[in-house]
Amino acid sequence: MIEIKDLKKVYNNVLVVNVPQLSIRQGESVGLVGNNGAGKTTLFRMMLDLIRPESGSVTSKGENVAGGETWKTYTASYLDEGFLIDYLTPEEYFYFIGGLYGKNRTDVDAFLASMSDFFAGEIIGKGKYIRDLSKGNQAKVGVASCMLQDSELLMLDEPFANIDPTTQFRLKNMLKEANSKGVTTLVSSHDLNHITDVCDRILLMEKGRIIKDIATTSSTLEELEQYFAIGPQAITETAEGPIESSTPAIDPEENH
Amino acid sequence: MTSTFIRHELKAFWRARNPGKSIAVQVVLGLFILYLLACAIGAGIFLDTLLKHNFPQDNVIVSFAGVLLLYYLFELLSRMQLQELPTLRVQPYLQLAIKRDTLVRYLSLTAMLSFFNVLPLILFIPFIIKVIAVKYGGATAAVFIFALLCIGFFNNYLALYIKRKASFNGWVLSIASISLMLIAAGDFKFHLYSIRAFSYTYFGSLITNPALVLVPLVLGIAMYYLNFLYIKDNLYLETLTKHKTLKRSTTEFPLLNRLGLVGDLVGNEIKLILRNKRPSSALKASVFFLFYGLIFYKNPHMPQAMKIFVGMFMSGIFIISYGQYMYGWQAGQFDGILVSRVNFKDFLRAKYLLFTMVSTAAFILITPYAYFGWKVVLIHFVMYLWNLGVNTTIVLYFANRNEKAIALSKGAAFNWQGTGVTQLLLSIPLLLIPYAVYIPVYFIAGRSVNAGLAALAIIAVIAIALRNFWIDKLAADFNKRKYKVAEGFRTK
Repeated sequence: MIEIKDLKKVYNNVLVVNVPQLSIRQGESVGLVGNNGAGKTTLFRMMLDLIRPESGSVTSKGENVAGGETWKTYTASYLDEGFLIDYLTPEEYFYFIGGLYGKNRTDVDAFLASMSDFFAGEIIGKGKYIRDLSKGNQAKVGVASCMLQDSELLMLDEPFANIDPTTQFRLKNMLKEANSKGVTTLVSSHDLNHITDVCDRILLMEKGRIIKDIATTSSTLEELEQYFAIGPQAITETAEGPIESSTPAIDPEENH
Repeated sequence: MTSTFIRHELKAFWRARNPGKSIAVQVVLGLFILYLLACAIGAGIFLDTLLKHNFPQDNVIVSFAGVLLLYYLFELLSRMQLQELPTLRVQPYLQLAIKRDTLVRYLSLTAMLSFFNVLPLILFIPFIIKVIAVKYGGATAAVFIFALLCIGFFNNYLALYIKRKASFNGWVLSIASISLMLIAAGDFKFHLYSIRAFSYTYFGSLITNPALVLVPLVLGIAMYYLNFLYIKDNLYLETLTKHKTLKRSTTEFPLLNRLGLVGDLVGNEIKLILRNKRPSSALKASVFFLFYGLIFYKNPHMPQAMKIFVGMFMSGIFIISYGQYMYGWQAGQFDGILVSRVNFKDFLRAKYLLFTMVSTAAFILITPYAYFGWKVVLIHFVMYLWNLGVNTTIVLYFANRNEKAIALSKGAAFNWQGTGVTQLLLSIPLLLIPYAVYIPVYFIAGRSVNAGLAALAIIAVIAIALRNFWIDKLAADFNKRKYKVAEGFRTK
């Protein structure tokens, strides 16, 4: 479904994303992990045509994402509060998003009723603008608006951050359910338990590069914990090449 | 500690990520401020001449003493509208081991850093030195200056106290403003009393009895402490950020809903304008502009060419004042717009529709100017078409080049945040093109106003007819720039 080729992004002469090749098949559930500054959000933004890569391309169903319009019709995404219209009430926002996808108010109301567990009585009918909601509740609005879109591709950046444990479990179930219906999911997180629980395939990013690409097994969590316990080596890669030559070895078998 | 606060404050100023001002803007702003200062200094130096001219039968000192209190009443009113509350800056210090008194004292003292506290000194000190010091000696002059400082001090803290109260209850500000206006009306409209006489009684007595200076001194200190205690009692996040817990309701615009996606987008933008402080004050300013014509049309000798300007501004001020910061108003959700299903052409169509709606409303509201002759309405109509055809497209062309986000929650008066070169460049075509069309045709057709207007109207109608063409061009242009624009909006 998604093909990434030679994708590079440079900020201040530092290579923040460098992905020579990555393909995500239809129906996969992919988790993206990595420490702060690993380049997860930058990668997401390039996949959504929000920032221009230095080189390389992202294609979705064969269409180049940059400058394309068709991918928007089947891609739902929530990266941060910058995706919400904060001076609307949540209801107004859902009606607006629903309208974009050809849903009338009755459809949206039915959807909102089905989400009432997820919202836990905090979102609908509270008489607040989105900007007056807490960070966690804003994230709930963002995630729910993605669900409302009945998309084929779902991209969420750290959806488990800021939300309460109960909602985290509900969100995991929602993601699994969506994936079982054939939705391709791409989720980043710092919570290794959640991400290995939800995703069948884990991508580990470090300094802009995908250094592990593994199918989730019973040992994956342990493997990731081991990696993060030691922490990545301090290397900085410039646009011209690595400053230090101590690049971590990539297992060719794992890096498919 | 205070010096640490000041150092932090300076760092915050210099390191602001998006100061919203480029060098060109700072130069223009600097010139503007210099001009205002020069005006104030000029008024200060020639105050005695001005007073003589306006009150020829009175002694200058009598008229000076009479004017002072009026000045301070007016100043209080302006302070309540314009002076900024120094508030949120203390937030990161609240939980640290710093005495509350230190924080509150810092907050209170920085409140004195206001243009309003400098202006009276520039205006009145030259007069006090030139006239009062010469006639009554240096000591009396010093007492006078000290009294003025005390009144300014009192006004400063009274205005802030009212504004702080008003942040919990919006009525406070209205009631305070209306009471001030009633006080003024009691003098000038109903002649119940004379503020000037009262002012003269006090300041005149000050010359003979310097001890009276204690009155404003005590008042000033009392107001300072009232303010000090109030801040100290309310040094909590929720009171500092003036969160209103009003019940917000979901609103629909049934007429717009029928227009489909473009209508929805306009509906959202109307909500943006009404629900955020800065755009809504820009809208209110546009309403104020509807009275712009009263200044000019009363003058029968005004050239027809000037009326083009007046007409353009009255129906188009919203396009200019709101449009110049586009799409910076939506900077907060711009990423969401880009990844959403909204086609950029629809986004542009919504902008055109919004401009058309507001301009049409303004055009209808200014028809009563027909009182000054139907020709005025004709000019209004031509300039209304011009706004819809030409100015909207110019504004949107520059919007594609604007990378500065707007902070929606700040007031609009004297707020230069988000002003850049784009806004300055934008004013050039807006002001010059109508004349570039009108003046040559006017002279070629033998000084015919009608020919000039007809030329404007024809170009405007052609431009309106070509809207879809402009939309295609603007969308193609935007696609080349969208990364830079979105990047700029992300660094708030």
